[in-house]
Amino acid sequence: MMKHEISALMDGEVFEDEAGVLFDQLIRDPKAHRDWDMYHLIGDVLRQPEYIHRDIGGSVSIALQSEPTVLAPRRLKQKARVYALSAAASVMAFGVVAWMSLQISPEHAQQLQAENIRPVNMQIQPKSNDYLMAHQEFSPSNEMNGGVSYIRTVTFSPEEKSQ
Amino acid sequence: MKAWFGLCGLMLAANICAAEGQSKLDWLKTVAVAGHQTDYSGVFVYQYGNHVETSKITHVVETDSEYEKLESLDGPKLEIIRHHGQVWCYSNHKMVLVDSQSGQGSFPKSLPDQLATLNDNYLVKEAGLERVAGYNTRVVLFQARDNLRYTHKIWVHTESGLLLKSAVLNDKNQVVEQYAFTELKFGNGGDRSWITAGAALTAKAVPNKSVKSANSGWVVDALPPGFKKTMEVLRPMHGRHAPVTQMVFSDGMSAISVFIEPSDSDEDDNEGLSNRGAVNLYHKVVDTRLYNVVGEVPPKTIMQILDSVRFNGK
Repeated sequence: MMKHEISALMDGEVFEDEAGVLFDQLIRDPKAHRDWDMYHLIGDVLRQPEYIHRDIGGSVSIALQSEPTVLAPRRLKQKARVYALSAAASVMAFGVVAWMSLQISPEHAQQLQAENIRPVNMQIQPKSNDYLMAHQEFSPSNEMNGGVSYIRTVTFSPEEKSQ
Repeated sequence: MKAWFGLCGLMLAANICAAEGQSKLDWLKTVAVAGHQTDYSGVFVYQYGNHVETSKITHVVETDSEYEKLESLDGPKLEIIRHHGQVWCYSNHKMVLVDSQSGQGSFPKSLPDQLATLNDNYLVKEAGLERVAGYNTRVVLFQARDNLRYTHKIWVHTESGLLLKSAVLNDKNQVVEQYAFTELKFGNGGDRSWITAGAALTAKAVPNKSVKSANSGWVVDALPPGFKKTMEVLRPMHGRHAPVTQMVFSDGMSAISVFIEPSDSDEDDNEGLSNRGAVNLYHKVVDTRLYNVVGEVPPKTIMQILDSVRFNGK
C-alpha cells in the first residue's frame, strides 16, 4: 500500500468503493497500519502540539487492558474514560469511517432488505417491462412526477449496459 | 361556560390544523397541474443503488393535448413519446405503440380523492428551501405513517410548481431511488419535428378498445392498510396470448398493480422478487395461474398482497 494512498484516505479524497479496498489492505498490512498511525500522529502534532500520543494503537490496547471490565456502565470512572476516548479517537475514526461506508453502501442496504425477506433480490428483467409500463399508466406518481416516472419502465439494467 | 370556551378553542385549533393540512394539499394540486400545463425541456439523472442514468425530457402543451418525449442519453437508444393517452416506444428502428390508455386519463378527476387518501397514509411536511438545477425549490416530505410504504421527498420549483427532484426513502431513511434535473429550460423552443411525427402516429393508431373495465371476481384478502382499489381492467398484453386481469390499488402516493393471467406451460416459474429502484415486482405461478404484483412499495407489501389473492367469483 502506497503512502500517498494512506494520505489520500486520511484526507477523505478517495471514493467510497476505493476506500473500502484501501481499508481492507490497511487491516492486513502491519506496515501500512504503522504508517497510518504515524500519519495521524503527525496530524495530531500539527493540530495539538502540547498533547502527543505515540504508538496510538499500542497505547490504546494497553489502556484498554488495564481497564477493569465494568458491566454496569454508570460505574465507569469518568477520568479514565476521557483518556481512553481521546487516545482512541484517531483509531476509532478509522473504524467509524469503515462502518459508515458500510452503512451507506446501497448494495449493503439492498442485501439487508433482501435478508429480511428472501434470499434472492435481483434486477427486474427486461421481459417484465410490459408489466411495469401497464402499471405506470395508473400510478398516482404520474400525476405528481409526470413523464419522468416513466423512466422506470424504460430503464436498462447494468447487464444490458455492458453489452 | 368555561368548558364551553375550552371546547370552542379546541375545535378552533383542530380546524386550523385541518386547514393547514388542506392548504398543503391544495398546493400539491398546483404541482400536479404544473406538470401537465408547463412547457419545458431538460436533462435529468435517475439513480438507484449503484446505477445511474441520464435522460432528456421535453414536454410541450399544444391546443389539442400534451406531447412528451423521453430519451436516454447513455446506454442503448431508448425513446418514449406520450401523447393522447398513448405511449410509443422506439424499438428496432421504429416507433411501436406499447400502451394505450382507453380511459383518457384519470387526471384531474381523481385528484381530490387521491389527496385525501394521501393525507391518511403520509404525514405531509414542508422541509425548507433548496436549489436544484439553478432554480429555487420548496422541499416537501411525505413521511410514511407506517413501514408498508416508502417515504417520498419532492423538490418543487417555487415559481412554476414543477417537480425538479424526487427521492424515495425506506424506513431506515436510506435513499431507494432518486431523480433530479441537472438542467432545465422553460418554454417550447427547439426541434418540434417529433411533435408532428407524434401527432401522425397517434392519429393513425386504432384506439385500443380491448382494455375493458372488469370485475373478474379476484380479491385481495390481506390488503395492506391505507390501500384502496382504484380500478380493474381486462387487457391484452404484449407477448401474452390471453387477456390479463389488472387490479390497481393506491394509497394516494404509490400504487400496486396485480396482474393475473393463465400461465403458459413453458412459463418461467422462477418465483421471486426483483426490483428496479423503488419498484418491486413479485412473480409467482400457482396452479395454472401466473401472478405478477408490481408497485413502488417495499417488497413485503407486494408479497402480502400476492400471497392473499383469492378467486371469489363464479
